[in-house]
Amino acid sequence: MTDCGCDKAKAELEEYLHREVSEADFVDITEHLQGCTDCSDEHLVGLILTQRVRSACQEKAPDDLRAAVIGRLEQLAN
Amino acid sequence: MAAVTPLSEHDILLDLELALMSDTTKSDDVTPADPRALFEEQALQYMDQLYAAAMRLTRNPADAADLVQETFVKAYQAFGQFQQGTNLKAWLYRIQTNTFINNYRKNQRNPYQGTIDDLEDWQLGNAESATATSGRSAEAEAIDHLPDSAVKDALQAIPEDFRMAVYFADVEGFSYQEIADIMKTPVGTVMSRLHRGRRMLRDLLADYARERGIGSPEANLSGATK
Repeated sequence: MTDCGCDKAKAELEEYLHREVSEADFVDITEHLQGCTDCSDEHLVGLILTQRVRSACQEKAPDDLRAAVIGRLEQLAN
Repeated sequence: MAAVTPLSEHDILLDLELALMSDTTKSDDVTPADPRALFEEQALQYMDQLYAAAMRLTRNPADAADLVQETFVKAYQAFGQFQQGTNLKAWLYRIQTNTFINNYRKNQRNPYQGTIDDLEDWQLGNAESATATSGRSAEAEAIDHLPDSAVKDALQAIPEDFRMAVYFADVEGFSYQEIADIMKTPVGTVMSRLHRGRRMLRDLLADYARERGIGSPEANLSGATK
């Protein structure tokens, strides 16, 4: 199968997104994405998925939990 | 070994390492003799994040709070074994993951547990993407406009090991190696969990958007009521 770069890019987009590819592959895939709508659209879906998961998962620990943890540590230290 | 070497240059990790380095120098001139002060100074800053992860694991605020409290107690008791300068956040997550498995998982028995990684994609209902090329930008747009609650519901709907792999990679920005250390599993398994988890999430979110007519103009015309 001849490869215009799509096979490689598609196979590695997720690792690319998570910065888990080698520097050389990173450069190759970045270059490929600039010229390929199909792959760059796919990459965009991946990026947005990551962003949305990240923003949806933000939580603030309740104040009473903070107090309870500090209380437990105090007990343990004594 | 709790030590985890970042394979990639995630900003978060760099910041964290810098923070740890400066913490260590700072604590030299303060009181290195007080382990509790050191622990509180270094570890308590991760409470929000541990709580957020605990919410994804336990699915409710009361159990999440218990899990986080238990995690800090265990971490404090084991703090002598923590190697200063290594990744404290990853170390805390590892303790939390262990604690969850030991204390909670047996109470909310997951029918998939232990076999989930062996299931074929078709059994999980996520054969490779059916998304047409032309539909991708609409898909991106739709996902972007979903409410947080839809994203959380979709996360809750996927198997726990997949969910947490996605959580560690996408919310926390841990490297695959760090996730492997936290979940005590080979890097290849982490990659497979991530890939399958993200695929399932994407399909669930696409379904949700389609049902509600979010993102695509044609779907909006077809009269979504809510």
